[in-house]
Amino acid sequence: MSTDSKDLLQGTLAILVLKALLGGPAHGYGVARWIEATTGDVLRIEEGSLYPALRRVEDRGWVTSEWGLSENNRRARFYSITPAGRAHLRDEAASWMRYASAVTRVLRAEPRLA
Amino acid sequence: MRDVPMWRRYLRFWRPDVDSDVDDELRFHLEMRERDYAARGMSPAEARRAAAERFGDVARIGGELRAHDHRRERTRHRRDSMSDFLQDLRYGARGLARTPGFTAVAVLTLALGIGATTAIFSVVNAVLLRPLPYPDADRVAMVWMDNRRMGMSEDIHSWPNYADYRDQNRVFSALAAYTPAGYNVTGGCLEGECEPQRVAAAASTANLFAVLGVAPRVGRAYSAAEETEGQDAVALISHGLWTRQFGADPAMVGRTIRLNGRERTVIGVMPRGFAFPTAETDVWVPLALPDDFRQARNSFALYAVGRLRPGVTLERAQAEMSAIAKRLETQYPTLRDLGVNLVALPEQIVGKSLRTALWIMLGAVGAVLLIGCANVANLLLSRAAVREREVGVRLALGASRGRLVRQLLTESVLLAAVGGALGVALAWAGLRLLIGLAPADVPRLDEVRIDGLVLAVTSAVALATGIVFGLVPALQASRPELAEALRDGRGGTASRRGHRLRRLLAAGQVALVVVLLTGAGLLIRSFVQLQQVRLGFRPDHLLTMQLSLPGAKYQTPQQRIAFFERVVERVRALPGVQGVGAISDVFLSKTPNSTNFTIEGRAPTPDQQNVEVPLDGVTPDYFRVMGIELKSGRTFTAQDGADAPRVVIVNENMARKFWPGEEAVGKRFRYGDGSGGADGPPWMTIVGVVGDMRRTGYEAPVRYETFLPYPQRAASRMTLVVRTRGEPTALAPAVRAEVRGVDADLPVYEVKSMDELLSAMVAQRRFSMALLGTFAGLALLLGVVGVYGVTSYLVAQRTREVGLRLALGAPPRALVAMVVRQGMVVAAAGIAVGIVGALLVTRLMSGLLYEVSPRDLGTLLGVAAVLALATFAANYVPARRAARVDPLVALRDE
Repeated sequence: MSTDSKDLLQGTLAILVLKALLGGPAHGYGVARWIEATTGDVLRIEEGSLYPALRRVEDRGWVTSEWGLSENNRRARFYSITPAGRAHLRDEAASWMRYASAVTRVLRAEPRLA
Repeated sequence: MRDVPMWRRYLRFWRPDVDSDVDDELRFHLEMRERDYAARGMSPAEARRAAAERFGDVARIGGELRAHDHRRERTRHRRDSMSDFLQDLRYGARGLARTPGFTAVAVLTLALGIGATTAIFSVVNAVLLRPLPYPDADRVAMVWMDNRRMGMSEDIHSWPNYADYRDQNRVFSALAAYTPAGYNVTGGCLEGECEPQRVAAAASTANLFAVLGVAPRVGRAYSAAEETEGQDAVALISHGLWTRQFGADPAMVGRTIRLNGRERTVIGVMPRGFAFPTAETDVWVPLALPDDFRQARNSFALYAVGRLRPGVTLERAQAEMSAIAKRLETQYPTLRDLGVNLVALPEQIVGKSLRTALWIMLGAVGAVLLIGCANVANLLLSRAAVREREVGVRLALGASRGRLVRQLLTESVLLAAVGGALGVALAWAGLRLLIGLAPADVPRLDEVRIDGLVLAVTSAVALATGIVFGLVPALQASRPELAEALRDGRGGTASRRGHRLRRLLAAGQVALVVVLLTGAGLLIRSFVQLQQVRLGFRPDHLLTMQLSLPGAKYQTPQQRIAFFERVVERVRALPGVQGVGAISDVFLSKTPNSTNFTIEGRAPTPDQQNVEVPLDGVTPDYFRVMGIELKSGRTFTAQDGADAPRVVIVNENMARKFWPGEEAVGKRFRYGDGSGGADGPPWMTIVGVVGDMRRTGYEAPVRYETFLPYPQRAASRMTLVVRTRGEPTALAPAVRAEVRGVDADLPVYEVKSMDELLSAMVAQRRFSMALLGTFAGLALLLGVVGVYGVTSYLVAQRTREVGLRLALGAPPRALVAMVVRQGMVVAAAGIAVGIVGALLVTRLMSGLLYEVSPRDLGTLLGVAAVLALATFAANYVPARRAARVDPLVALRDE
């Protein structure tokens, strides 16, 4: 994998994680499940890579974590998004949208002949 | 820095276990995924494989996460400790600000201790530690003649001996010879004539600069070819003389100056800081000796200094030089008992007694600092007692002991830091005073300053101080029992331990004070003994000054005789003058030029070879003016002229030694070894015997002395001695004017009263005594305050007991006796330990003492008595106060 696409993937993962947490605190598996369900498993991300991504967003202060009990009464680490995380997600989402719509426009445009 | 929120602190009670947390988190994920797959109908084995596959490399990711979490934990810990520290600092500062009295006393005590330590250390640093301004100065050594005959280990050489040492040794890369001189400097100034100046100088062999490894900053050094009479009309000048006298003129090299009237070309200027052989030396000229001197094996006038060859130790050099000395002894019978003695230059410049004195001063201030620390520790202990309840609550709430100790230590280090900063300011101010009071003959005193090293050492001392006086009270204050003590309302056993600690501190203080007082007492006794020394003359009401007649203007003895006759005549006529005399040197340096002599009618004996006999010409009134007693015969008169029969006066010591049981008056002797026969030096008849005078100062033994009438030994450099009716120095301008009246160009220098001369001789001793006395006094004061504080505290703690006893009918006197007895047991223990310590320490001081044993019983008893009295008072006052309490009030207390 080239560095560029790795950076891209990492940035993307961060956005996915933040978005997943917008609905409330969740453990890592919950995040994975949410992404799977929401994308229809199109992305098929390697679930292990979620955890380094969670650490990164935690280090940046976008997410905090806390140990708690899971729905089946197991000890699990729960992640929640911080106000800074929300703000970041908003900015990132906006630029993603602009980027995606630009690419979409390009793809939909009639090929113009010279 | 941002505070870590309080809830985060509690996290530490659970101490996150990073590794198992990561494992838990990943295992949870895998198991959940497995469960989901199994729910979709996979077999358990299939589900596990699929979950693992879906997850990726578990081991790699786990490792990554563990590394990350450890890193994060460390940063968090660091941040928390930093924030703890800042919190402690704020807490400590607030606490100190709430008790300004305590804080002021503690800070001042520490500032005094740290300030004194800083000041003394900066002197030690400049004088003892900082290297000399010569490359590898410790490879340079003075080479002395070891004169076992006279018991003088630092005597000087003759040229033939020096030349033999120089040519035969293989241990020095260069061995130089020099002799100190003094010159009147005239000429050489840019505009007209400048004031004549008297300067110290040295005539040296050309290799002196190679030995010291220093070249002139401008111009050149002289060469070996210039060490010849007639070729030697060149001079090097010091940076100081160049700026002072010649305005730092860049075109100085090549200019002509006159030294004692003789023209010499300035060929170079030495760099600043070049101070050999003395800091005052301003001129260096080639050592151009007359041929007969180069042959005279028994004319001792030369100093020698050499640089050791690479790899040669001082011991090896000493061994080889001693072997050469042995050979010379066998070869020349007159050199019997004359060895050689090497002293490394740094040790030479700062003598052994000054070295010892400085280290002792440093030790003394250190002790004062420790005593001060004990006082502050005591104050902190009392403070801790007040805070017991607060600390108990915190312990009960689960604060760790380490955390509390750290907090209390932060407070004491903060105290020490503030004390240290104030101390440096005190040291900075005190150093000027110290240097102003210090004797002029302490070398390198002008280099004393508070530099980086001094500041670093001071900071370390302050930090150590804070920990030393803070640690024990902090441990004491955070005892885990305190949490339980809360319940009973007072901590019985624990405070008893606190009491023991206080008594220990008080005893330690007393012991240190005993050591310091003993040291100071021994120095004071030495000084008193020194003042008892009979100098052999009347030192009061004497004015002295130096005159040096330039050879060019006063070529013949007749001119010099006429000059001094006129000066003596004119000065004597001044109102307020009782008498005036002249002698070449009132006091002798440690290494005067010496000669041998032969007694008429006796075969020369080794006793008469190289006896240190000064050849002093004196004017007729000299002995009367000085108040030196005439024991037999007569003093000189105007009839003892240049052409009259040769006469001589000797001192009693010499008469006793060489004419024992006989009348010395009427006997004849002459200088030289008798080889000259009839053509040799003339015979001289002894016409008088005078009382002994301490010619080399208080401490050196009485020497042999011979005096000639000035006309028969008309030296050009003389000391004028004037006995005055009133204050001697008040007459100085008048005397100076009379000398100017005879010769306006002649510089009159070193105008001093005899009292000043004598006081300069004991200046180092007086300074050491004053300094150590001051430190000892300070120590005594702090120690007494400490004992007083401890007793007051202990008594206050027992108010209820005292009240109860009073109520039960105990007489107040008995209570006072009880408290005082308990206090005095502590003091007595301290005094006993202190005496043992003093006996161990004062041995190091023996070199500084004069006619006093380091184990002087009187001093020890005196010190013990002083401390017994002082500690008694310090115990009695609080005891008295306690016994006067109203029993009812005391019982209701608490």
